[in-house]
Amino acid sequence: MFHVSFRYIFGIPPLILVLLPVASSDCDINGKDGGAYQNVLMVNIDDLDNMINFDSNCLNNEPNFFKKHSCDDNKEASFLNRAARKLKQFLKMNISDDFKLHLSTVSQGTLTLLNCTSKGKGRKPPSLGEAQPTKNLEENKSLKEQKKQNDLCFLKILLQKIKTCWNKILRGIKEH
Amino acid sequence: MTLLSTALGMLFYLLHAVSGESGYAENGDFDDAELDDYSFSCYSQLEVDGPQHLLTCTFDDLDINSTNLEFEICGALLDVDCLNFNKLQERYFLKTKKFLLIGDSKICVKLEKKNMTCRKMNIVKIVKPEAPFDVRVVYREGANDFVVTFNTSHLQKKYVKVLIHEVAYRQEKKENNWMRVNLTSTRLTLLQRKLQPSAMYEIKVRSIPYANYFEGFWSEWSPSFHFRTPETNGTGETDPVLLTISILSFFSVALMVTLACVLWKKRIKPIIWPSLPDHKKTLEQLCKKPKKNLNVSFNPESFLDCQIHKVDGIQARDEAEGFLQDPFSPQLEESEKQRLRGGMQGPSWPSEQAGITPKVFRGESPFRCLAGNASVCDAPGLPSSRSPNGREGGKSRPLVYQDLLLGPGTTNSSLRPPFPFQPGILTLNPVAPGQPILTSLGSSQEEAYVTMSSFYQNQ
Repeated sequence: MFHVSFRYIFGIPPLILVLLPVASSDCDINGKDGGAYQNVLMVNIDDLDNMINFDSNCLNNEPNFFKKHSCDDNKEASFLNRAARKLKQFLKMNISDDFKLHLSTVSQGTLTLLNCTSKGKGRKPPSLGEAQPTKNLEENKSLKEQKKQNDLCFLKILLQKIKTCWNKILRGIKEH
Repeated sequence: MTLLSTALGMLFYLLHAVSGESGYAENGDFDDAELDDYSFSCYSQLEVDGPQHLLTCTFDDLDINSTNLEFEICGALLDVDCLNFNKLQERYFLKTKKFLLIGDSKICVKLEKKNMTCRKMNIVKIVKPEAPFDVRVVYREGANDFVVTFNTSHLQKKYVKVLIHEVAYRQEKKENNWMRVNLTSTRLTLLQRKLQPSAMYEIKVRSIPYANYFEGFWSEWSPSFHFRTPETNGTGETDPVLLTISILSFFSVALMVTLACVLWKKRIKPIIWPSLPDHKKTLEQLCKKPKKNLNVSFNPESFLDCQIHKVDGIQARDEAEGFLQDPFSPQLEESEKQRLRGGMQGPSWPSEQAGITPKVFRGESPFRCLAGNASVCDAPGLPSSRSPNGREGGKSRPLVYQDLLLGPGTTNSSLRPPFPFQPGILTLNPVAPGQPILTSLGSSQEEAYVTMSSFYQNQ
């Protein structure tokens, strides 16, 4: 009897404490009227899209990121949260200041509107990918160029997914 | 026990989540004792220099000693936590492109790195647009209006694109009597009739963000533009022509109305509404009965003045002479004379004879014989009408007189009066054969006209 009550006292509450953040949504979507998205985020996403179109030729292969994360029902905020964090990784690329400015606006603006709890606070964001060791400098350059192209393509798809997910959120709010 | 532990765990969890947000550690309370001394106001201007924005703050109290005072903004910034303002005379400004434009920021007044007062502001809610410029007014003579156009730098911006513009204009002589018009476009039309003629006007424009997401304050006024309204002579040049035309048309209409009234009965009405002859009345007029006081007598003695031949009929000699142009005519005269001498025993004249020798008896027509006598006398109109009729009836005359010679009572149903029926012909009652005509005449002396019915009977 004693070890049974002991289990209930010291076993279940911590379990509940652990499971509650996982089960509940950690993001609260602000700006549901769509004003912030339409007047700020969408302007910057369109600018980024124009800048990327000017440079790259993208393949149709969908990166693994989107296979793992998608804007499913009741998971829109979670997807946007991950996507916004992913955008921050592109700031490390060799890109112009205006490009970085737009990226920062979209990323940080999305996170501000989502108002998520810093679940992964302090956690180092995953990198885009590690450069493979190469034998000579020329191969490094071509690989870097290829990597940059791939990253830009990924960024382009990511921005479209972010845009689509925001539209889905706002449409759902209007319908309700 | 389980529930208690669960509640405690949740409480700890919530405390951790709430305390995790930044800003709450600091005192954001507005009830600062020194707030009134360092109260300030700020406004933002987005994309003033390319992608860079401008944030300007000033103290409300201009007399404040701002020597060691600084402004700092934290929150809603890109890639940084806080930014410091620059000072220019009594104004503090920050020119940067690191505004996130989402969420609230906190602007604090610092004195030697100590926060004296702070205010929470949203950069997008304190937007002050740039002043419009290039105000122009063009007069359109054809449309009699003024077209006001102006320009604004926000047309090329990405964020604050939609504005409300206020156009204010006044007559220069009248102070503070501004007329204001709000619009969202950069073009306005003012009607000339709403402005004073030959007057000098002043016009200026300012803008404010359209309250969609961006809000804020009115911009500064644009530079004023002055224009003069034209005189009314321009519009009056066409008036004399119209005035002359209108006067002439008025007088012509009046003249026509007067003439219409004057000539209505005599000229216009007969043409518009001609009086159609009433056949019955017309016939009655033509076949009017003689006046009752008219003393009609077939006594031959009363016709002594008339140049007639005595006949036992009502046929005038002249008429007989008129249509008797063949050899039968002297025979006829002789026979007629014989009959007259025979007196009462003459053949009764059929009504065709009376029809053959039509006499016009009208009360109006003058007679050559004495008044009051029968209408055996010639009517003046007859000679003219007789001759053609005489010619027409020439062919049928032998037939007629054959009948007459044959005897009385013979009626030829086919015989038709050669002369067209003339009104006023003396009617003869059909008399039985052998009866003297004079008696029949005497009986009908009051009926000194021929009716249509007698013709039908003879036929």
